[in-house]
Amino acid sequence: MKNKVFIMMIAVIFIAGIIGSVIVLTAPQKSTVRIVSDGTVVDTVDLRTAQDRTFDVTYEGHVNTVEIKDHRIRIKDADCPDRTCVNMGWLSSASMPIVCLPHRLVIEFTDGADVDAVTR
Amino acid sequence: MGERVKRLTKLGVLTAVSLIIFVIELQIPNPFPIPGIKLGLANIITVYAVYHYKAHEAAAVVTVRLLLGAVFSGNFMALLYSASGAFLCLIGMLLLRRVIDEKHLWTASVFGAVLHNTGQMAAALLVTRTVQLLLYYPFLIVSGCLAGAFTGLCAQLVTARLKGWKRKK
Repeated sequence: MKNKVFIMMIAVIFIAGIIGSVIVLTAPQKSTVRIVSDGTVVDTVDLRTAQDRTFDVTYEGHVNTVEIKDHRIRIKDADCPDRTCVNMGWLSSASMPIVCLPHRLVIEFTDGADVDAVTR
Repeated sequence: MGERVKRLTKLGVLTAVSLIIFVIELQIPNPFPIPGIKLGLANIITVYAVYHYKAHEAAAVVTVRLLLGAVFSGNFMALLYSASGAFLCLIGMLLLRRVIDEKHLWTASVFGAVLHNTGQMAAALLVTRTVQLLLYYPFLIVSGCLAGAFTGLCAQLVTARLKGWKRKK
């Protein structure tokens, strides 16, 4: 009886570990996003804790509308001619940032070390 | 030959065996490139020692194994992580030995392995101060459960084989 309790505990720990591993593997490895306009970091967002919101990033009169929703981030709208950044959709890969070349806007995952450097 | 000398000799042999297992395991390439994940075959002896010797004797076997293991592997940085893991594991298993009988040694071994990984993780977090390391923790838990069950079952086999060794005294 007692041993069954321990085996149950092991099963729970093991399953929790597997679920955690799946979450880590499927979630983006990094959760901090950096918004860079014309080479300067204008905002750093932790997607895990970010509230859903929409805001504009302006560069020389041009506007990109950035949307944060359900802990994801994308460029919702832009007044540039090609709108490549809008078509890139949600930021999903750490190796592929969303870039709006005409407006010199980059949205990318950044690792914790950079955040430390900024907050420090 | 006195009883104490016999006991000391047996502990010495156990330490030597676990050290040999440790060195051999070093030579086996690790298929998982995540730091902290390994089979930990040397812990077969740890589990065995916890269940057949006094607390301080098992602690002595583990301590000497750790120090000499660091000497043989030349990796003293890893000593910090392996030591914090090993001692947490040792304390946990010494407590579990009161409630888990020897037939279910493998369950104690699983708890020990998970505690080992927890100690490692705590040490790594304290040393590097990088919270992102926690992303590895679920993987460590899964591997700890599997490796702990494996080493625990091995220890049960060892126990069965060493029955004669124990009885002769």
